[in-house]
Amino acid sequence: MSLIEIDNLSVTFRAQGRLVHAVEGVSLKVEECESYGLVGESGSGKSTILRAICGLAPVTGGTIRIAGQPLPSPRGPGFAAQVQMVFQDPYASLHPRHTIDRTLSEPLAIHGLRDSDARVVQALVDVGLPPGFRFRYPHQLSGGQRQRVAIARALMLQPKILLLDEPTSALDASVQAEVLNLLNRLRAERGLTFLMVSHDLSVIDHMCDRILVMQHGKAVEELARADLAAARMTTSYARSLFEASADRMLAAP
Amino acid sequence: MTTLRAWLSDPNPASRRQARLGQLWLAALRIRRNRLAMAGLVIVGLLLVVALLAPWIAPHDPFVQNLGNRLKPPGTPGYLLGTDDFGRDILSRIIHGARITLYIIALVAVTAPVLGLLVGTVSGYFGGWIDAVLMRLTDIFLAFPRLILALALVAVLGPGIENAVLAIALTAWPPYARIARAETLTVRNSDYIAAIRLQGASAPRIIAGHVVPMCLPSVIIRVTLDMAGVILIAAGLGFLGLGVQPPLPEWGLMISSGRKFLFEQWWVATMPGLAIFIVSLGFNLLGDGLRDVLDPRSASR
Repeated sequence: MSLIEIDNLSVTFRAQGRLVHAVEGVSLKVEECESYGLVGESGSGKSTILRAICGLAPVTGGTIRIAGQPLPSPRGPGFAAQVQMVFQDPYASLHPRHTIDRTLSEPLAIHGLRDSDARVVQALVDVGLPPGFRFRYPHQLSGGQRQRVAIARALMLQPKILLLDEPTSALDASVQAEVLNLLNRLRAERGLTFLMVSHDLSVIDHMCDRILVMQHGKAVEELARADLAAARMTTSYARSLFEASADRMLAAP
Repeated sequence: MTTLRAWLSDPNPASRRQARLGQLWLAALRIRRNRLAMAGLVIVGLLLVVALLAPWIAPHDPFVQNLGNRLKPPGTPGYLLGTDDFGRDILSRIIHGARITLYIIALVAVTAPVLGLLVGTVSGYFGGWIDAVLMRLTDIFLAFPRLILALALVAVLGPGIENAVLAIALTAWPPYARIARAETLTVRNSDYIAAIRLQGASAPRIIAGHVVPMCLPSVIIRVTLDMAGVILIAAGLGFLGLGVQPPLPEWGLMISSGRKFLFEQWWVATMPGLAIFIVSLGFNLLGDGLRDVLDPRSASR
């Protein structure tokens, strides 16, 4: 049994009376402790899949199961302790009027967990931030530091699954590598399962065991990391996507 | 003293209490640097002191009439701001009136914006039919002329300060609801609201802890700008015999009684008018400063 099973998922938005099929009949399975990537150009529906899992997008067909259980709607507190998400833009995902302390301790308060002082300090240390940052506001931090706070927040409830929505695309290149390495370290330490969205194949190559290439809301091709490294694609779209970013992938260590 | 200051301005506080006190300290520093806000704070502080000490600092009894002394001009010995048509000292009446004005302002300021915030954020956050029902209700209240609606309410409930305040509050909340709803609509789809929802937070927690702080600054500005209007509506109700009743020295009531002598004895209406003007100005300046202080991002500017 896979940890995340998505079967024939469809998401349809209604925009100005027109139906927009953001995701059509996508199926995927993510094993426990695996890192699974969703790749595609913008508008291909990859972020929508993450939002559908979180209950933030209207699912019109198919099923999503976590650890074999279909998800309740609305998602309950049990879901929050199991699945968390890191958003794309760290400038928009932290409340501008809450201190880091409040942002990190709020999930503990919601779920009635004690010992929030020690847990908040530990969470900051775990993501490589000095504990002295605890009472700062988001505007006093850099983009990379904010994204570390967002990762710490996502891990406060010790979930098994982390949904990563382009976690580094808003950061510059050197910070990007730091955050990706942090995520890899946390995954190894805690046995996390990642479902990661990116349009950048070099990021996906660095992070993921398997990837699913998407286009226009449909799954195009599933590849293992070895296939990606050896450029063994069967579809022309996956190949063109690979060739567009191949030079940067080869340059990366 | 220096150790206390160092403790308060420590950039890396050790506890929540220290962090909170440190933020208050920074806010106090910020408001002290803002000269206009300080001016507003001084005016409002003076109003508070005057209201508190009214019986001791007023030179005369505000109710004792002396028809031999009626309509004395300002500067008459013993009557600094002159006397009104019953020979009562205007300065003493203004000083005692500060209490009534403050009472009305305080009651309106804690009821109308709270009700407006509640309606606006709930309506904006949930959307759908809740939004439709609450906003049409707001439209109905907005469609009535404010003074007429207050009149109707007071006519039903009977005249008096409390009923006047209730009438003003019930007619003053729709603009706050509209502002709060507009702000809520801009934040409800933001990532930080999605993030806290994903953490399993309930709707009341999200609205109170995450949406309201984003709406507060614009509502506070609006409240301070409305304060002058509140004093004037209270005065209008008093003038029509439905608010504060004579002989209570309410400032608006004093203006309306001085209206009869406006051309010959200008000071009877002008002095309480000046008092309203100064207090309104103080609230406006303070509100502007408070907005800067309430926004932690402005600390860097």
